[in-house]
Amino acid sequence: MNLTTREKFDAIVVGAGPSGNSAAFTMAKAGLKVLQIERGEYPGSKNVQGAILYADALERIIPDFRDDAPLERHIVEQRIWMLDDKSFVGTHYRSDDCDKPPYNRYTIIRAQFDKWFSAKVREAGAMLICETTVEELLMDGDRCIGVRCDRKGGEVYADVVVLADGVNSTLARKAGLHGEISAKNVALAVKEILFMPEEVIQQRFNVGEESGVVIEMMGTVTEGMVGTGFLYTNKESLTIGVGCMLSDFKSNPRRTAPYTLLENVKKHPGIAPLIAGGEMKEYCAHLIPEGGFHAVPKVYGHGWMIVGDSGGFVNAAHREGSNLAMTTGRLAAETVIAAKGAGKPMNAKTLAAYKAALDDSFVMKDLHKYRDMPQVLHSSPQFFTTYPSLVNRAAQTFFTVDGVDKKTKEKKILGSFRSARRLGGLVGDAFRMWRAFR
Amino acid sequence: MSAAAIVNVEEKLFQNRYKVDHGRPHIRIKDAAVCANQCKEQSCTFVCPASCYKAEGNRSVTLITDGCLECGSCRVICTEHRNVAWEYPRGGYGILFKFG
Repeated sequence: MNLTTREKFDAIVVGAGPSGNSAAFTMAKAGLKVLQIERGEYPGSKNVQGAILYADALERIIPDFRDDAPLERHIVEQRIWMLDDKSFVGTHYRSDDCDKPPYNRYTIIRAQFDKWFSAKVREAGAMLICETTVEELLMDGDRCIGVRCDRKGGEVYADVVVLADGVNSTLARKAGLHGEISAKNVALAVKEILFMPEEVIQQRFNVGEESGVVIEMMGTVTEGMVGTGFLYTNKESLTIGVGCMLSDFKSNPRRTAPYTLLENVKKHPGIAPLIAGGEMKEYCAHLIPEGGFHAVPKVYGHGWMIVGDSGGFVNAAHREGSNLAMTTGRLAAETVIAAKGAGKPMNAKTLAAYKAALDDSFVMKDLHKYRDMPQVLHSSPQFFTTYPSLVNRAAQTFFTVDGVDKKTKEKKILGSFRSARRLGGLVGDAFRMWRAFR
Repeated sequence: MSAAAIVNVEEKLFQNRYKVDHGRPHIRIKDAAVCANQCKEQSCTFVCPASCYKAEGNRSVTLITDGCLECGSCRVICTEHRNVAWEYPRGGYGILFKFG
């Protein structure tokens, strides 16, 4: 495409991830003239996620997505493990209901999924240009009128610019629309994809040809940092990763590199047999905005809106992000469509309807519900190290038959909790956790 | 699980696909003297998931962005000195995730 043509678009969408694709698709489908700009060679080539796709958010945008979207496995079993160095205690939830269509969630491989989504966006009528980095927003006073790309004559204009440029939110930051991210509000996650025959995955995880398992883990493997590990089953690969708050990585006295932490997860005796023989094909890193409610910046103004990770829309407590990204993209698009239909200017007053729609949706309701969670977890590293250790020691005491009577064993377990956290600490932890989850 | 185990991140990065923009690194250390003389922690040298930042024997920090995963961590953690000039690579360059 020749960007020197001074044509004006109804909307420019920066980025072709879940939020950008949702916004561009929804607006193009309604007949708006949409330009989408992606810096990667193809949509997905810069994007990293676990990745779990939650069907509901996508279904509201593309109801029949199951017909041709590249989906790996639908999830029939969720495991939550608490690890110490040698053991784990876990809860597993598996239900036959999860194995009946329409399925609620799937593992996906983002490079493939984003390509598919992008094809839908172009089918809907949006114009996409790839291999183009947007360098800055074009501002006329406090009004955004377009973007400048790293192409010759790369200035393009639109009534509204939707910023779907990801967690680093480079454009809004440069334009002074919000400040630098705090290391306390983002998690740094690293992961690998390990290929193995699908029959091996099915045997190891006790699943059928289409179904899969998700394992989330917490414990000593994060060295006291606030963070979790994860293991997801794809069709013929596994994704294994670990993420911790970036501020914790920075202040960890052991100065452990993220990839060393990942290797330690892979070596854990509960995990090593599950991934044995897997052929590593890619290593990724990504920041996840986990600051929650209090970290969400102003997400609209004169001629601009922020969607997805760029706006910090992640529900860390529930490991949800892509569904919030898709929903914020859709709501932003619907705001633009309604304004266009009513002939209103794309100013802050008009676009405030986007924030109202967010507040009225599960996005802000959930973020508000867990608004104190980041602070509670930051100030309570015991949830990630002390408790998993205690629980594992308790299990060992309880399940070892060694001639010691059960009452003495119970006393020993209770004593270990009390000496580690004292009674006041235990009650306080329970109370704070309850408050944060309430 | 020993934290002392040496992990070779280059082996991991070797699996990745990159289109390197030769001679045009997208991240720069603004002032090398600040890293060498004013930054005690030099936490970029162990937090960077691609190990792009290296602590040299003479207390200087060197940066080679070829293996960069474009996460942004180095910029975000350089809170005290704000000594990292961070941009995305030019369109089409940098990491190209095959799976993501």
